[in-house]
Amino acid sequence: MLKFITTIAVSALLATSAAADGSKVGLVPGGPHPFFADWEPGGIAAREDFGLAAGDYKVPQKWELNLQNDLLLSMVVQGYNAFVIHPGDPVGSAPTLNEIVGTGAPVVIASACLKDPSDVAFCIATEARDSAYRGTKKLIESMGDGPKKIVHFAGWLVEPNTQLRIEGVERAVAEHDNVELFQVIADIDAPEPAEEKISAYMAAYGSETDGIITTGWVPTVVAANALRKVGDKRIKMVGIDHDPVVVQAIKDGFVVGSMLQNPYGQSYIAAFAADRLRSGCTVKADAPFTPHPLTERFIDSGAPYLHAGNVENRAAVDEAMTKELLATFEDTYLDC
Amino acid sequence: MLFRVAGARDQKLGAADCRLQVDNKPDSCVTTDSEKFGEFDRGASGLLKRIALSNEFGLFALIVIAVLVFASLASGFLSNFNLYLLGRIIAVNAMIGFSMMVVLVTGGLNLAVGAIGVCVAMTCGWLIEDIGLPWYLAMLLAIGVGAGLGAINGFGVVWSGLHSFIVTLATMSIFFGGMIFLTRAESFREMPELFTEFSRLKFFGILSAMLIPTVIVAVLLGALYHFTRIGKEMLAAGAQAAAAEQSGLRVSRLFVMCHALSGAVAGCAGLMLLARNGAAIPAMAGNLGQDWLLIAFLGPVLGGTLLLGGQVSVLGAVLGAALVSILSNGLLLVQVGEFWVQACLGLMLLLAVVLDKFRRSFVQT
Repeated sequence: MLKFITTIAVSALLATSAAADGSKVGLVPGGPHPFFADWEPGGIAAREDFGLAAGDYKVPQKWELNLQNDLLLSMVVQGYNAFVIHPGDPVGSAPTLNEIVGTGAPVVIASACLKDPSDVAFCIATEARDSAYRGTKKLIESMGDGPKKIVHFAGWLVEPNTQLRIEGVERAVAEHDNVELFQVIADIDAPEPAEEKISAYMAAYGSETDGIITTGWVPTVVAANALRKVGDKRIKMVGIDHDPVVVQAIKDGFVVGSMLQNPYGQSYIAAFAADRLRSGCTVKADAPFTPHPLTERFIDSGAPYLHAGNVENRAAVDEAMTKELLATFEDTYLDC
Repeated sequence: MLFRVAGARDQKLGAADCRLQVDNKPDSCVTTDSEKFGEFDRGASGLLKRIALSNEFGLFALIVIAVLVFASLASGFLSNFNLYLLGRIIAVNAMIGFSMMVVLVTGGLNLAVGAIGVCVAMTCGWLIEDIGLPWYLAMLLAIGVGAGLGAINGFGVVWSGLHSFIVTLATMSIFFGGMIFLTRAESFREMPELFTEFSRLKFFGILSAMLIPTVIVAVLLGALYHFTRIGKEMLAAGAQAAAAEQSGLRVSRLFVMCHALSGAVAGCAGLMLLARNGAAIPAMAGNLGQDWLLIAFLGPVLGGTLLLGGQVSVLGAVLGAALVSILSNGLLLVQVGEFWVQACLGLMLLLAVVLDKFRRSFVQT
């Protein structure tokens, strides 16, 4: 029996080392969410374009830190040797990610950041606070002069970017004496709570509201649908991301615009970087990282503004942004 | 290994049948498998038969089979790194199982184990980060808070006369909601390095240091039920509350103690997760702490703890937790799909409950 077990163990280890010849990149979000739908094609494209051994997208069954940790560590055992990860928690994820880096697998954080200190290579994401700030400025601009009341519908409080987005909106509002942030409704980045709270808000305060800023995927979709249902284009809205509902609402004039994040490009470039780091490249000591509230190793993947003028070319906007970043990425951030 | 009360759960038995003595000697009410099996078989062959028929042996055999299957299907299952990970997962799962087991002894349950575990972790984080207490003092006080919350459950059950299902369902929301209100859902992140260092510590390259607190608690619980009068009184009260009451045992007090113990052990599990994450996070056990529930029931019930009370197996709970952890880990490694793992665990719980029913029938015959 012992001999049998030993044989199996040796075979397993050999299989693991064989797989280690190429970069087997695992792309793991914090949990199931429509935002990450573009990560899977991003991983597949990276595998094909950069000759990776794998570019597999794996989703924890729920948005729960322990499940993400268990999944990540099981992937290490399966032979994945480079990772692109959206951390389940900006601090709570650090011990597990440090442990993974300790096995020799580089970790690149994408779409949200991990709080320093940690052993991960860097973070590539939209600067959430700045994006929310700029989106709110666009909203204020669209509402025109005079006293205005706006409401902010935000995502999960446990999501690393939510607090930053709340701060960004508050900063933009603080710069305009005539604008009042009437209410912040957060923790609603799922259909049920979003429908319930946004409907209740619109029923109670819709007539007093001049503008809506949304900084979560689901709240954006739900709020866009609510405005279409009401049919009143008096209330201006700026959302986030590129759900077809939001894109159509921009075309139809129910939504003024949306701040894009380009999850496809983030996962694609992060997979490329993870592969290069595993192949011996290192992060440049003097890389021109952008200041970020959570980390000193932040790469801004950009947040273009989608509006009626460019809504027909959304895919081209994302593609251009990805190409531009990739063209100079290695020279700018890596020593190879 | 298996501790239970003679005549446990036989509804036809009256108070006198429990053999509890009015001079308050509950030892006479407690028996083990050896007495049960001894009626039809004694000697060396009888011992082997007893071992072969025991719940723990059955679980051990299942674990061996699961290990062999996963080792042949999943590359790296027997690697040092995975064995170390498995030890760490088993340590936490077994501790969560203990927190439910000590209440199952009473014939009740504690749906608030997850909520209490998170409350304890958050309390510890608050005491360290905001109050500035040394980590060991903060941990002790936090476990005390867990015991206190458990005792509230116990008092609620005893005084209201309601089933613990209802009481702990309510307190699960109360405890968790109170914690969210007090902390404003903010995590405590400035934990000493010692916590994460401990969670990553390994011996001989494969044994996680997280197993240490679990082994300590397992030994203490084993000693409680095997060697102490109060442990045997808990079993007696859980098996036949009315009979135990008539024999002079203070059943209500014993039930409150069981719930307090459950709170303290759930707190230990919460602190282990705090060490694992390096931060006290409100969502560490899911919404309302519900993510612990399946694990909490699976270990003890698979391990031979009767859902109707009066019988407990600490070793069985550890083996049950080990089996569940191995299956979860193995299923992830063979890539059955992350969403199927939870479904498989649910099926296991159903199977365990059916086995529990057959076991009770066997005990009664």
